[in-house]
Amino acid sequence: MYRGREGQWAFVFHRMSGVALALFLLLHVIDISLVMLGPDGPFDAFLVFYHNWPFRVGLIAVIAGVVYHGLNGLRIILMDFTSWGVRYQKQMWYGVLGLTTLIGIPVLWKIVPEILGVA
Amino acid sequence: MASSTSELGWWVFMRISGLLLVPLAFGHLWANNMAFNAGEIDFAYVAGRLAQPGVKIFDSFLLLFAMLHGVNGLRYSIEDYVKRPGRRFAWKMVLFTVAGIVFVLGVMTLWAFSFEEMGDAVRTLGAE
Repeated sequence: MYRGREGQWAFVFHRMSGVALALFLLLHVIDISLVMLGPDGPFDAFLVFYHNWPFRVGLIAVIAGVVYHGLNGLRIILMDFTSWGVRYQKQMWYGVLGLTTLIGIPVLWKIVPEILGVA
Repeated sequence: MASSTSELGWWVFMRISGLLLVPLAFGHLWANNMAFNAGEIDFAYVAGRLAQPGVKIFDSFLLLFAMLHGVNGLRYSIEDYVKRPGRRFAWKMVLFTVAGIVFVLGVMTLWAFSFEEMGDAVRTLGAE
């Protein structure tokens, strides 16, 4: 293990968010598949359970993970397919963090009041 | 480890699918979390969305690319962190089995109902 510089942290966050999102995806497909059991099935009861605040906060984490993983993925593509990508990988990573934060502001502005029940 | 030719193919696939997943995943999150209150999602909302051909097609591409991209990413993690060959093989078999079942379940969810049946379900619910 070499001492963490930007590139290594970018990789660690990419790996962690990727594993978390892949596991969420499997769970998400399974829970939405309950809709096949019809309007009188367990879908609505299950969704009411998911509407509890810990899951809604978790959903914000999913959104943050998707935005970071997606933007950092674009950084990886630029590193792999342009002549200048690797040279500017550090600056691009700070750009990814900045843009993720920037996108996070309207997302939190929209969703936090919904969770608090003041929307 | 798979052959180096197929590993190169997966390397390219992760970049192409990743690029496609940015608009697909961002669009999916926008529709269900920003354009709508996710805390109010219920059967009528999901049935109503899946009654739209555009949503079925959009979500089908999202399901396909996200599953392949996500499962291949989990496979990378197994290759990296599970050192013993026997356990590595076992974990991968578990992953591929679960992923296969979940993918079929996802396709069924998106396509099992006709648009009419979905529409009827929403209308019935609205009439109650």
